[in-house]
Amino acid sequence: MATVTLKGIKKIYPLSDDDKKKGKKGLFKKHEEEIEHEEKVNLQITDQGTVAVQEFNLDIADKEFIVLVGPSGCGKSTTLRMIAGLETISEGELYIDGQLVNNKPPKDRDIAMVFQNYALYPHMSVYDNLAFALKIRKTPKDIIDKKVRDAAEILGITEYLHRKPKALSGGQRQRVAIGRAIVREPQVFLMDEPLSNLDAKLRNQMRAEIIKLRQRIDTTFIYVTHDQTEAMTLGDRIVIMKDGFIQQIGTPYEVFHHPANLFVAGFIGTPQMNFFKTELAEENGQYYVPLFGVKFPMDAAHMEQIKEKGIKPQEITMGIRPEDVSICYEGGVEATVDVCEMMGSSLHIHTTIEDKEIVVIAQSKELPEDKQLGFAHGDKIRLHFDGHVLHLFGLDEKNLF
Amino acid sequence: MQLGKRPVWQTTLIYIGLILVCLFFLMPLLWILRTSLITKAEAYQIPPNFNVALTLENYIEVISDNGFGRYYLNSAIVALISTVLSVVLGAMSSYWLSRQPGNMTGAKLAILATQMIPPIVLVIPINTMIRSVGLNDTWMALVLAYLTFNLPYVIWMLLGFYDNVSKELDEASAIDGCSSLQTFFKVIFPLIAPGMMATAVYSFLVSWNEFVFALVLSGNATRTIPVAIAALETQNGVKIAELCASTILAILPIVLLSSFIKKYLVNGLTFGSIK
Ligand SMILES: Nc1ncnc2c1ncn2[C@@H]1O[C@H](COP(=O)(O)OP(=O)(O)OP(=O)(O)O)[C@@H](O)[C@H]1O
Ligand SMILES: [Mg+2]
Repeated sequence: MATVTLKGIKKIYPLSDDDKKKGKKGLFKKHEEEIEHEEKVNLQITDQGTVAVQEFNLDIADKEFIVLVGPSGCGKSTTLRMIAGLETISEGELYIDGQLVNNKPPKDRDIAMVFQNYALYPHMSVYDNLAFALKIRKTPKDIIDKKVRDAAEILGITEYLHRKPKALSGGQRQRVAIGRAIVREPQVFLMDEPLSNLDAKLRNQMRAEIIKLRQRIDTTFIYVTHDQTEAMTLGDRIVIMKDGFIQQIGTPYEVFHHPANLFVAGFIGTPQMNFFKTELAEENGQYYVPLFGVKFPMDAAHMEQIKEKGIKPQEITMGIRPEDVSICYEGGVEATVDVCEMMGSSLHIHTTIEDKEIVVIAQSKELPEDKQLGFAHGDKIRLHFDGHVLHLFGLDEKNLF
Repeated sequence: MQLGKRPVWQTTLIYIGLILVCLFFLMPLLWILRTSLITKAEAYQIPPNFNVALTLENYIEVISDNGFGRYYLNSAIVALISTVLSVVLGAMSSYWLSRQPGNMTGAKLAILATQMIPPIVLVIPINTMIRSVGLNDTWMALVLAYLTFNLPYVIWMLLGFYDNVSKELDEASAIDGCSSLQTFFKVIFPLIAPGMMATAVYSFLVSWNEFVFALVLSGNATRTIPVAIAALETQNGVKIAELCASTILAILPIVLLSSFIKKYLVNGLTFGSIK
């Protein structure tokens, strides 16, 4: 139970010996190559080393559940490890419960952490794994026993207390790892992709248990994942990162309905948001977006903001979520079906309009009976969407509104 | 392959083969044992006479007249101290090395390089150094000399074991509230122990059997068993019966040690950590 404040946090990993040998020249070359391959992580490499995290500012309230999410290599683990004290902080200030802890070792920060690979002590029984931190802190034996048994009870691992971690399944090990953190009753609970080693079914189950757990032990959580479902379902607020920079901080609702930039818009939501390069045009004071020969007018709410912010007509990228596109029988735009994925209650329909791909989600029970199992390749359907569901991004990739 | 369904004749052949191989390796040893247990006169007999009475007189002579007890003690002390020192120092250095952020290629290569130098090259320089600090004819001289090859060996061997112990365990224990020392002794040490045991046994064997350094660096007071055995090859010929008796005495503790330590050696091989 504590607030955590990160002020201008920055992490520079020193160059490894290999990098140094290659010399600066080689490094810059490498950097250029990375820019060429856009899918590669695009971290800043300076004289001092690799900048893994920068300009990280975040105020975490007491008992808040914060999720750090982003693609691989964006600096999530690095941030978490700096909070834990496992990595030095290159620049900036870190406060836990109002105290500056930059130079405090992990043991003095009163945090607990669940590792991706569990990191259970293999030579100790489950009981001793849970009790270890308390023993180190010289807690009286009877209190240790009570806490360990309580935690085991919560997590349903009482019957395994005397087993070694080797004799447990992945899900059980994960519970022990969480249990080891619970018994500590720490101020802050850190978790680094705790579910990523579990199979899909177990992951869903454990996710639900973490939600339950959170209601019981009510403390500050910082949770790292690259899975947006976990981020959306667990977080009070989500921090979306890319290449070491924060892209957006917001509630799941905010990041979904009002993504700050193109990256967030594309990252959150499956299937991905559809993007089209077009423009924001004006006709007699009414703004609209021309696309596929149709003019999509901005609704009143958007118009108000356009006036307020003095937004000018300009080139934009328009985004629309697959669930905001509907199938209609008159009007709209004609699209050709490429692939149709049956997801159970809904259909993901991949279509093309004038060589541009657009994905649509349709609820199968809202379709005519003969189409409920899906459309065939080459079928023609008509698509429609309203101006109020459009997301508009300027050339700087930022949300216009 | 079908299990447990090997025909009898095959099994018999396999066993005969195994016995032959064992005999091949055991013959010299058995011969030494025989020679150590017969009288001197019989020992020199060629062709050998198989129908002889057994006697312990060679052992008695070796122990009482040649001061073998003393050499035993020297060997044991030197081997033990150098093993303990190299395992304790090596375990810590190796741990530090394996937990460094870079891959420490330079340091690792240097350690390996020490194993590439033939020990005999080092004998003269080390002898000179030992004399210049006045340590000649002391146990310490041999202990220090043995450290030059035992310590790098231990560091090198344990590196592999430490690398097998996930760094996340160090981190987990740091977060659980351990200092570095507590992490080492409560978490890492128990996991490394089988490896340490195996490494220690090897160091002990090497030190116990070491000859070249011992020959040059030990004096009358610190003579070790290998040197003492070699001394039985005198100008007047090889004292074959005493030589065999002392050889058996030299082997004995190692045989006992290895049967006691077998389970640790096996553990050392099947060692692994939870991922
Ligand atoms: N010890 C290190 N030395 C140098 N660079 C490092 C080190 N650890 C991480 N990095 C770099 O810092 C960047 C951020 O790494 P980090 O582990 O925080 O990513 P992540 O967001 O957790 O990714 P993932 O989802 O794959 O775990 C990566 O590009 C990585 O290459
Ligand atoms: Mg990570």
